[in-house]
Amino acid sequence: MNLSVIWYLREFLSFEWVHKFLFVKTAPLTTPPYFRDYPLLTGKECTHCLACMMICPVPGGIEVLMTREDACHLPVTQSRPPGSDTWNPVIYPGHCIRCGLCVEVCPEGVLMSGRVIEFQFIDNTAFTSTFQLEVDHTLCMRCGNCSIACPVNKEVDPALGGGAPPSSMESVMLVTGGELKILNEDKCTGCKTCETACPNMAIRVVRQVEGIHQEDEEE
Amino acid sequence: MKFDDVLCPFCGCLCDDITVTAEGGRVTGVDNTCLLGTSKFLGDNRLKNPIMRTDDGWKDVTYDEAIASTLDALLEADRPLLYGWSGTHGEAQCIGVHMAELLGAVIDNTSSVCHGPSILAIQEVGHPGCTLGQVKNRADVIIYWGCNPTEAHPRHMSRYTTYADGYFLDNAFRDRTVIVVDVRRTETAELADVFVEIKPGGDYAVLSALRAMVRGRDEMIPDSIAGVSKEQLRHIVEICKNAKFCAVFFGVGLTMTRGKYKNVRNAIELVDELSRHTKATITPMRGHFNVYGSNEVNTWMSGYPYAIDFCRGIAFYNPGETTAVDILARKECDAALIVASDPAAHLPSKCIRHLANIPVVQIDPYPNMTTAFCNLQIPVAVSGIDAEGTAYRMDGVPIRLRKVLETEYPTDTMLLGRIYEAMMEVRGR
Ligand code: SF4
Ligand code: SF4
Ligand code: SF4
Ligand code: SF4
Repeated sequence: MNLSVIWYLREFLSFEWVHKFLFVKTAPLTTPPYFRDYPLLTGKECTHCLACMMICPVPGGIEVLMTREDACHLPVTQSRPPGSDTWNPVIYPGHCIRCGLCVEVCPEGVLMSGRVIEFQFIDNTAFTSTFQLEVDHTLCMRCGNCSIACPVNKEVDPALGGGAPPSSMESVMLVTGGELKILNEDKCTGCKTCETACPNMAIRVVRQVEGIHQEDEEE
Repeated sequence: MKFDDVLCPFCGCLCDDITVTAEGGRVTGVDNTCLLGTSKFLGDNRLKNPIMRTDDGWKDVTYDEAIASTLDALLEADRPLLYGWSGTHGEAQCIGVHMAELLGAVIDNTSSVCHGPSILAIQEVGHPGCTLGQVKNRADVIIYWGCNPTEAHPRHMSRYTTYADGYFLDNAFRDRTVIVVDVRRTETAELADVFVEIKPGGDYAVLSALRAMVRGRDEMIPDSIAGVSKEQLRHIVEICKNAKFCAVFFGVGLTMTRGKYKNVRNAIELVDELSRHTKATITPMRGHFNVYGSNEVNTWMSGYPYAIDFCRGIAFYNPGETTAVDILARKECDAALIVASDPAAHLPSKCIRHLANIPVVQIDPYPNMTTAFCNLQIPVAVSGIDAEGTAYRMDGVPIRLRKVLETEYPTDTMLLGRIYEAMMEVRGR
């Protein structure tokens, strides 16, 4: 015991050690370029597609808010005053786990973080999403609220929303054959209007995201 | 065979955009109908022929025998009651009134147990109503008071109100504000922009408060009325006063709770008050597809909408005395003809007990709860499926029911017509 104390003192009180301790040169601490920090804004225009919000795996990680125009160059982590005039994603650091999915999914390149976008470009990868509609026929009253409210249906069959009988089978869904039938799931844009218009929680929109390698797609 | 633009003979919405496919004397498919309409179109447990109760069960009888025994029952009775009428077409309802006059009977329809109070209120203060087309094309504020269209009129919101785009409303459900007032959070309340939860029985007080506030007498309203905060009431008044067109719909939650017809009267007067600031209308959510028609037919034929007593030889109307419920509860009635309704499902048990003790003839295509105690049931064609006729939508618009099936069954008009003719013969007219 006593021996080791003496040994320590001799070692650490030597001039050499003390000098090294105080004057040694180490590399300065810098963030490496591949470090994936909380996403930042690139200044590109957000189109409010909400793809980032939809892919974020944690609750409350990201929100797309109306923000002041000149705030775009600020890091996203800074909160901004409300009552402004462009849409921008806002990251909440306490919730965000810095997975970078939102950066990768944004079709407009609004966000950046580390080398996510760079590698996405090199690897030529992207996300695609499709929507799956599910109807619980035991809950559905066939009231037609969903098919009348669906914005895609409004485009395909404009008279439908005004109460006319359906004139086209191209709608996403229609009440036909005694039930609510999903006819063209691929046209759904995932807006969830149908979900909010349903009084019985009978229709559900599920977003399915897939990572794709674009070269493969073209082949 | 496909039929387009068929009417759905179920609820008062009377949807007229149904496509029906019929093959081999059966409806095989329907498009655009809600769950209720679909089950009516596809329902197939009809009675094959008239059935008569005997000491040991049911006996099949012919239509001639059935008519003869109906005549016996009705002609022998001192105080017959002709009840129902809301599920058949106008032509048959006409014969019903003639029959009641000939027999000196009481004729009443199902509105005496649902929207009867609304009619009383309308008789007192009038009816600022409009067609559903006006609502669809113009109304930017919709109020559902004491009704749950999701359950009872499933397509009301998608055809006429919340979700239906109108001439002046391109994006209906963004442009319209929907207010739901009820005692519990119904499915419809989930779709509302504003939900007002009233304590049961508080409708009258809340309506009065709203009236006062529309008049600008805010200061006299206490902070909370029947569980509704003054803040929320003020909010509603603001929405209504700033509306371009405010359409109120109400159901039995208003007519059959404490205050009854006074509630409806108050609601009409609120609409009246609102009309000083904007355009406002009020419409009862009528249940059966042609209960409105029954009121109309009765009114143009006898002067009164329901509960008409012909025992004096002239039409006499006194709801509370001549309504079916009261006549049965006082055990006055000694024979009943039930047409196109199921009293066993909605009359008080006291009345049903009396019905079980007297001869009851039921004219209805399907076995129902009333079958359990009637003495004779005569099946007929279903109005709107294999019988044509006129029906009145909840807003009072008459629409022609279409026929999509050929049938062996007599229609209500034919059957009642035969019974009526035979009655006239017996009575020597
Ligand atoms: S980095 Fe991941 S966790 Fe953070 S906001 Fe984006 S998607 Fe959500
Ligand atoms: S999510 Fe939107 S686009 Fe898709 S079916 Fe529902 S309403 Fe239509
Ligand atoms: S809104 Fe809901 S209940 Fe109505 S038809 Fe659509 S899924 Fe069915
Ligand atoms: S809302 Fe009424 S009239 Fe329309 S389909 Fe349903 S039951 Fe028939």
